[in-house]
Amino acid sequence: MLLSVEEAGDDLRVAMITWEYPPRIVGGIARHCEGLAKALVNQGHEVHVFTLDFPGAPDYEEQGGIRIYRTRSEVGHPNFLTWVLLFNHYIEKRMADTSRLVNFDVIHVHDWLTAPASIGFKHFSKKPLVFTAHSTEHGRSGLHIPDSFTIDGLEWWSTYEANKVIVTSGSMKGEVCGHFGLSDNKVEIVPNGIDAGRYDGQVDKGAVRARYGIQPHERFILCVGRLVPQKGIEYLLHAVPIVARRRPEAKFIIVGDGWYRDHLEWVANTTGHRWRITFTGFIPDWDLVALTKSADVLVVPSIYEPFGIVALEGMAAGVPVVATQVGGLTEFVEHDRTGVLTYSRNPESIAWGIDHVLSNPGHAEWLVKNAREVVQKTYSWEAIAKRTGKVYKEIAERREQP
Amino acid sequence: MSYTPLPPVPEEFKVLSMMNNIGAVSPERSLSPDELSQWTEIDSPTIITHLQKLRENGYVELVEISGTQKFHLTRAGIMKVLTLYS
Repeated sequence: MLLSVEEAGDDLRVAMITWEYPPRIVGGIARHCEGLAKALVNQGHEVHVFTLDFPGAPDYEEQGGIRIYRTRSEVGHPNFLTWVLLFNHYIEKRMADTSRLVNFDVIHVHDWLTAPASIGFKHFSKKPLVFTAHSTEHGRSGLHIPDSFTIDGLEWWSTYEANKVIVTSGSMKGEVCGHFGLSDNKVEIVPNGIDAGRYDGQVDKGAVRARYGIQPHERFILCVGRLVPQKGIEYLLHAVPIVARRRPEAKFIIVGDGWYRDHLEWVANTTGHRWRITFTGFIPDWDLVALTKSADVLVVPSIYEPFGIVALEGMAAGVPVVATQVGGLTEFVEHDRTGVLTYSRNPESIAWGIDHVLSNPGHAEWLVKNAREVVQKTYSWEAIAKRTGKVYKEIAERREQP
Repeated sequence: MSYTPLPPVPEEFKVLSMMNNIGAVSPERSLSPDELSQWTEIDSPTIITHLQKLRENGYVELVEISGTQKFHLTRAGIMKVLTLYS
């Protein structure tokens, strides 16, 4: 028997739609959805994740109470946007099939890539829709090519159809309200969360560093992210010679991959310090945790950052964070209290931030202590899931009213 | 945000992207260099050069089906492609 929200009590049945979910991890969205889904289940909600297939991952599985449906697009197309519409069609079919057995209370879609399926399902099921805008095409790439205009239009459509829009920072709220012309009360800020427990274990830092070619006397500066222009990694690379002048023992490790990698490796070659810089590509999660815990500084040199979860991960791992003063980063990296803020697109400033941390180990320890307190107090998934559940409940109840 | 012209997306990346979009993501959906050449409109010798580099970097995998060499994306290849859109 299918129950209404009121009959079901506080616990809701949530259809969560995302194009990336572990092990399909591209950026922060996969981890965000996993962390949120786990915490929602722990709080008694029923969570069904609809996502795309990935080699080696089953079509359906249950993980700690989360039901995960991985859908294969049976038809492909060389055009990117056509491919997106095709996989949306197959996801929507899967959701419609599942809805014969599950009476969802709320639909929650993450970013525009799976919005067409979610909007279709909203009208089919007559259930409220929440749209989390993790970033915008306008901010990511600018609107310089026809595909970007189409994506921008899909993002606008998603915010228009959504009963509530969630963003992860105040900076994103300003961007989304301004660019899409949304009223203030339609957009809710619910920050990203983090599973700080992932960083609790002990690691043999010496062994980890040795594996990456870092000698005991050397200082290593870590940067983690998709290798795409908005992450600002070329400005960090331009900072390498400046840092090296002050810190001859400095080495740099860049973790991640992306379409911009060839260009970044070319920039690294022009610095005259290529031997100090290692590009690792993607590395397994366990290794990333160990590497982060073993770093002397974590640098987040972004030029566009709606939230910046990698900085929060550094703070949870107990490594001093140097981040650029952009977007959501400024909302939890408090300059000289929980980390160090520098100017974006400014290698001199980034180099200053790195040197500031390396030159003051006592101060760096204090920053780390403060940062951990902030992470535990404000950014636990439990706290984030409670805030998200409140948004669900509010729109689900509004629907129930005659 | 001021606009700085970006370098073009490398051509071998376009091969990866096309393989993702048309579904060449598992051994049974692998495609031959000739098929990829048709899809991408890049000539066969150039496609083969790109595939060799992509294979060396772990982004595509080679399988032999009925005596024909075919290629599909690896997990790392899929994740690399998706950075373009995320």
